[in-house]
Amino acid sequence: MGNILRGPRPPRWRTVKVVVRNTFRYLVGGAIRNWLRNFGSTAPALGSMTLLLLLVGLGLVGAVVGQNIANTEARDASVLHVYLRDDATTDAVNALEAQLSGNPDVQSVAYVSKSEALARAQNRPGLPQLADAAESNPFPASLDVKIRSVDRVGAVDASVRHNPAVDSGVPSSYDPSAYRRFQQVLFWVAAVGIAFLILLAFIAVTVTANSIRAAILSRRDEIGIMQLVGAPRWMVRGPFVIEGAVTGAAAGALSGVLALVVCVFAVQAGASSFAQIAPGLTLKAGLVIGLFLFLAGPLLGSVSSLGSVRRHLES
Amino acid sequence: MADVTFSELTPLVEFVGVNRVYGQVVALDDCFFRLLPGELSFLVGPSGAGKTTLLRLINREIKPTRGEVWVDGLPAHDLSAKRLAELRRKVGVVFQDFKLLPRLTAAENVAFALQVTDLRIADGEARERALDALDAVGLHDRAEHYPHELSGGQQQRVAIARAVVSQPPLLIADEPTGNLDQETAWQISTLLEDIARFGTTVLVATHNMEIVHRLQRRVLTLSAGRIVDDQPAGRSARLLWATS
Repeated sequence: MGNILRGPRPPRWRTVKVVVRNTFRYLVGGAIRNWLRNFGSTAPALGSMTLLLLLVGLGLVGAVVGQNIANTEARDASVLHVYLRDDATTDAVNALEAQLSGNPDVQSVAYVSKSEALARAQNRPGLPQLADAAESNPFPASLDVKIRSVDRVGAVDASVRHNPAVDSGVPSSYDPSAYRRFQQVLFWVAAVGIAFLILLAFIAVTVTANSIRAAILSRRDEIGIMQLVGAPRWMVRGPFVIEGAVTGAAAGALSGVLALVVCVFAVQAGASSFAQIAPGLTLKAGLVIGLFLFLAGPLLGSVSSLGSVRRHLES
Repeated sequence: MADVTFSELTPLVEFVGVNRVYGQVVALDDCFFRLLPGELSFLVGPSGAGKTTLLRLINREIKPTRGEVWVDGLPAHDLSAKRLAELRRKVGVVFQDFKLLPRLTAAENVAFALQVTDLRIADGEARERALDALDAVGLHDRAEHYPHELSGGQQQRVAIARAVVSQPPLLIADEPTGNLDQETAWQISTLLEDIARFGTTVLVATHNMEIVHRLQRRVLTLSAGRIVDDQPAGRSARLLWATS
């Protein structure tokens, strides 16, 4: 038995190199090897995690769009467009403008001619085609009235809507419940979306944890020996956590690419149609969402497998 | 330098009033004993006497219900999960069913145990030490064989090489000769004796009384969870449970 004795201590740099190589081989190499070997049992976890992350990505796209619409709505809610009759005289319009300017609730008043209204419309997605399709300019002249407080929009509207210079058919842009309705719809869409994502996250975490459990069971002999000979805990558990992270990374990459493709299509489709499909969504926002999913995947995978490892791997 | 007698050595393993209960069943009851460095001892007793439970307590696969288990200065009874690896690196374990990894060769099985416990060991060094360990158990020429290509006795030698390759101060063996014929069992026993001779404390749980009689080492006799006899080396001719 005597010749098992250790030789002289090697130089420090070589020890560090060996430790790094062995750590990489047992943790990362082992995890990737097992991931490939157990792909059959990992596939359902990969699928459910990809679906979850893709839905999160689409939810983020929805949040970007919703936020942009909410900002626009909030900004627009304090601006009252008072539409003028086509046959209103200059004097009548000037009188109306003076009346509004004298109102203490009004911050500013700006006249927008029919041609300016047309020019504005041509800058809005979808409207250029509509403007070009009409033989004459369909957009009325208006007074854009900036109100000091959103609460006073209704009062200002009431003071001018029966003015002879104002269009009797569509006197103004004022819709008392539109902003509130929009906010409520946004709230419920967000609440249902979050509840659905939590449910899906639970399913994804459970499926991933089960796939890691299957991986632990398939390697129980090796794990048993590692534990008995005194392998450190992180070395026994690490490969499984990394295996989960690899599943998450694959799911993150897949869902990130899919979310980016959806964003590209939405931006392109929005630019070439009458309706604005995803207002405020840009390619940059799509890239950020894709990157977020790519990073969230490994995190979700490793946290799921860590939970499973803690539960199923005894010391 | 003062002379130190064998009995004055610091014990490598010490059981102090150890009790282990599984539900309503008392597996070990009020056990006291000490194992000294370099000592080869046998643990005998009928099936269900508590031999495996006692070995599992040393390796902290289980915790005692009451009492203290000390292994090379470590409190196995009160060790946090984080320090378990430290304890287990001090204890080599050999099983009746060998527990070799079938997809690794004999040398790889031994090197695996070495490298997973010490990442500083390079492949070349691990292989060299694994071959040295296999040489020590007489299996140098079988280093590249897979477990299924080896006999039971050879597999057990590989398991012993794996248990001692990192030179732990203690080796515990649970029925190491249980699956082997008498001649092979004797070879394995003499190998364990050699290991003890080089300073490793060895505790062997066995039913093989012929080997116990031939080796004439210390014998702890368990019956119904209690140590009913503790015969020092050279006096194992009459064992209570085997002769009754």
